[in-house]
Amino acid sequence: MSPEAPELDLERKLDQLHPAAFGWALACCAGDRAAAEDALQASYLKILDGRARFDGRATFRTWLFSVVRYTAAGQRRRAALRRWLPLAVLGATPDGRPDTATEVARADGTRRLTAALETLPRRQREVLHLVFYQDLTIAEAAEVAGVSLGTARTHYERGKAALRKVLKEELE
Amino acid sequence: MTEHHEHDLGERFHALRREDAAAAPALRATLAAARVRRAAPPRARALGLATAAIIIASVAVAVRVIRRGMPSDLGAVRLRTPTDFLLALPNEDLLRTVPELGRVTITLDRRTP
Repeated sequence: MSPEAPELDLERKLDQLHPAAFGWALACCAGDRAAAEDALQASYLKILDGRARFDGRATFRTWLFSVVRYTAAGQRRRAALRRWLPLAVLGATPDGRPDTATEVARADGTRRLTAALETLPRRQREVLHLVFYQDLTIAEAAEVAGVSLGTARTHYERGKAALRKVLKEELE
Repeated sequence: MTEHHEHDLGERFHALRREDAAAAPALRATLAAARVRRAAPPRARALGLATAAIIIASVAVAVRVIRRGMPSDLGAVRLRTPTDFLLALPNEDLLRTVPELGRVTITLDRRTP
């Protein structure tokens, strides 16, 4: 096997999951496309450099989503620090809000859904995304979100109820 | 929550997924950008470290300057307050010094009753 084979294998796996990973990165970055692309690039870099290694304890998909979530969280912390410190010289700082271009391009129904999701706490939003959007089980969602199964189940139930309520209020 | 509601939520999320998938950048472009990132010098990190070093150095200098104006032995510091005169006793020198025998010179303050 050539030394490039593992990287090619990784790239093949990433190719299969790329659209889903982009969707998850968008969810982790609250709909900010530029921040999502940054998080995804940084995650792929970690994987291809071997700084994040798949050890086979979870499925490749849940592991990849964990890496993306962890990377996006790191970016959020740095962005918060940059907002707090006067470090504008370091470049544009994502503000953790959906960018206008992405929102305008969305259909009415999905725009309403993203707006309703924004009103939920981050954990609830993440678990709902993983279950409904990514079709993961609650156990897999718990693994990705780094919480216990019971906690994930609570976030799922509360998030679902809150989301239904917001969407219903919007229609009335 | 009814099954219908769950199905409705699922449909909405799937519509969102279809939109996101259509707008997703190509994997090749993402990987290429990631590789460029790997090759490029980490300018932001270097600038961040430099800024942090400047802030730390400024704080250190400020602390030194402030400390320079302060007395080093706090035990020797006597606080002077505007009401100090109220505590002054007549002939209070007598209370602070031990008179020598044979050379006692007591000067009475005649204003005191």
